[in-house]
Amino acid sequence: MKGNEAAAEAAIHAGCRFYAGYPITPQNEIPEYMSWRMHEAGGVFIQAESELAAVNMVYGAAAAGARAMTSSSSPGISLKQEGISYLAGAELPAVIVNIQRGGPGLGNISGSQADYFQAVKGGGHGDYRMLVYAPNSVQELWGLTMLAFDKADIYRTPVMILADGILGQMMEPLYLTPYKRPKLPEKSWALTGCKGRPAGVIKSLYMGEGELEARNAVLQEKYKVLRKKEVRFESLDTEDAEVVVVAFGIAARLTISAQQRLRKEGFKVGLFRPVSLFPFPEKELSALADRVKRFITIELNAGQMVEDVRLSVCAKGAEVAFYGRPGGATVAPEEIYEKIREVCSAS
Amino acid sequence: MSTELKLKELSKKEDLFTHGHRMCAGCGAPIIVKMVLLAAEHPVIAANATGCLEVSSCISEYTAWKIPWIHTAFENAAATISGVETMYRAYKKKGKMDKDVKFIAFGGDGGTYDIGFQSLSGAMERGHDMLYICYDNGAYMNTGIQRSSATPRGADTTTCPAGSVIPGKPQRRKDLTRIMAAHNIPYAAQAAPSHWLDLMKKVRKALSAGGPTFMNIISPCNRGWRSKTDDAIALSRLAVETCYWPLYEVENGETRLTFKPKTKKPLIEFLKPQGRFKHLFAPENEQRLKQLEADIDAEWQRLLKESAG
Repeated sequence: MKGNEAAAEAAIHAGCRFYAGYPITPQNEIPEYMSWRMHEAGGVFIQAESELAAVNMVYGAAAAGARAMTSSSSPGISLKQEGISYLAGAELPAVIVNIQRGGPGLGNISGSQADYFQAVKGGGHGDYRMLVYAPNSVQELWGLTMLAFDKADIYRTPVMILADGILGQMMEPLYLTPYKRPKLPEKSWALTGCKGRPAGVIKSLYMGEGELEARNAVLQEKYKVLRKKEVRFESLDTEDAEVVVVAFGIAARLTISAQQRLRKEGFKVGLFRPVSLFPFPEKELSALADRVKRFITIELNAGQMVEDVRLSVCAKGAEVAFYGRPGGATVAPEEIYEKIREVCSAS
Repeated sequence: MSTELKLKELSKKEDLFTHGHRMCAGCGAPIIVKMVLLAAEHPVIAANATGCLEVSSCISEYTAWKIPWIHTAFENAAATISGVETMYRAYKKKGKMDKDVKFIAFGGDGGTYDIGFQSLSGAMERGHDMLYICYDNGAYMNTGIQRSSATPRGADTTTCPAGSVIPGKPQRRKDLTRIMAAHNIPYAAQAAPSHWLDLMKKVRKALSAGGPTFMNIISPCNRGWRSKTDDAIALSRLAVETCYWPLYEVENGETRLTFKPKTKKPLIEFLKPQGRFKHLFAPENEQRLKQLEADIDAEWQRLLKESAG
């Protein structure tokens, strides 16, 4: 199955019955798939007149208690930022899929990872964060999309799947693992008609003295919990590693073959892959830096996550090299191999 | 220098949209752009919304445009040209510029009817001296044939696929030309590349109106319409002759048909050669086909009435 279709079908499996989208390459298979699949599943598909409209349709549907999703690619995600900030401010659960492409501006349509900052540092205005998951295979995209809906409901927060054009367009065998619904909190806050109960209010506007600060305190508390409980990562051969490569999403996938090759050649190289980009696995990386002093970060951008890696390990006296190529470039495993090898031989 | 709108004269003029673009074979858009730029009597500065035309005419360091041309995001062609035009007026006022320059924005139907509608409406209301040209191929062709609000009722697209439940797009298309005329701008018109003289006359009128003007030009797309590659002009002609795409102008509030077929051809002559309407000819979709015919006829009758007044 193609990555884009897997994300769409995973959403259906997870009980998403509201999807609003807008055309942009390379994520078009998601709205196209949803346009017929939602009908079949008894859900709602809307093609909006713009990304701004699509994300606000999701805002409306989420407020009404629906499991709602929208998707786009980088320039379109930029247009959705206002809506994402409102979703975070109003504490509404929603899933946003970003099949990243090269930027800035119109860029091009090939895969990229240049929206890391936008996704994890808050591309919209205000002090907000959202859960960000970075899958590195179609199978993981499947699983994380389903998980995203649960986490969105549990924490009443927008969750972003930060994938990229390579993953979105890639076809891989996929186990359609069933969705297991965990125990989820009741959506007692949803605006479903207030007959027989007190009227609910969903808003992100707080004009009263001290109201907004209090609201922000609540949000910050939530982000603290996310940082504590929702860190996800994967490590490969890090136990005895002398050099650790840090990469997320498709860059990590590209790195595996280089890392394995170096292992065979006798270099003690490990791979650390953050799966949740917010919260970032800073403690885990920091712990790794007690022993490992040489890191290299590989990204399909000009250097974004590397800042978080440095924040996590530099205090422990570790050094962090970076190799990445910005939007428009495709990185080959051989290049990654060379760069890691340079770090290995630098001692 | 004014050139007479005669083929012999026009053939001596330099093409300002030229080789090097990578539009599909049989695409209507480059033909339209060529005609528009040939009709212009002054230097033109153009803004272009993201879409087929923009993507295919500025690949890497190549450009097919022999005029100052600025690309902008999908929703912003009218806003961007507003900025350029305003700066030009400021320069002129300060005596830094004396040349007469015309400003044109190009956008497809997605970038005009849908996401760019707000900036288009704003530019028209503010009254910039500009012409906005929508090349309307009836869907988001650049991203893979998704429906737009210009897609006619019943057409099959990748986000309103014709199947057993829904026979193509359920909604009627937005009547954008009329909406633009309702901005009470000096000139709004509909044109078609098959009727080149009519199209070019309209461009001249629009560019000399001295205010915000709008033209909606039908642009056959064989990829999205599922038609033959060499059918663009024939289909454009059929669109006009079946009154699917009436040629008319609204000048200072007065509606005038610029082409009235002696006998209106049946709509199916326009629909039949297009794969996007194929399912409408199945017996179970007879009602849908009738509905589409009724849509088109109602618009034609309204135009007849308005232009007779």
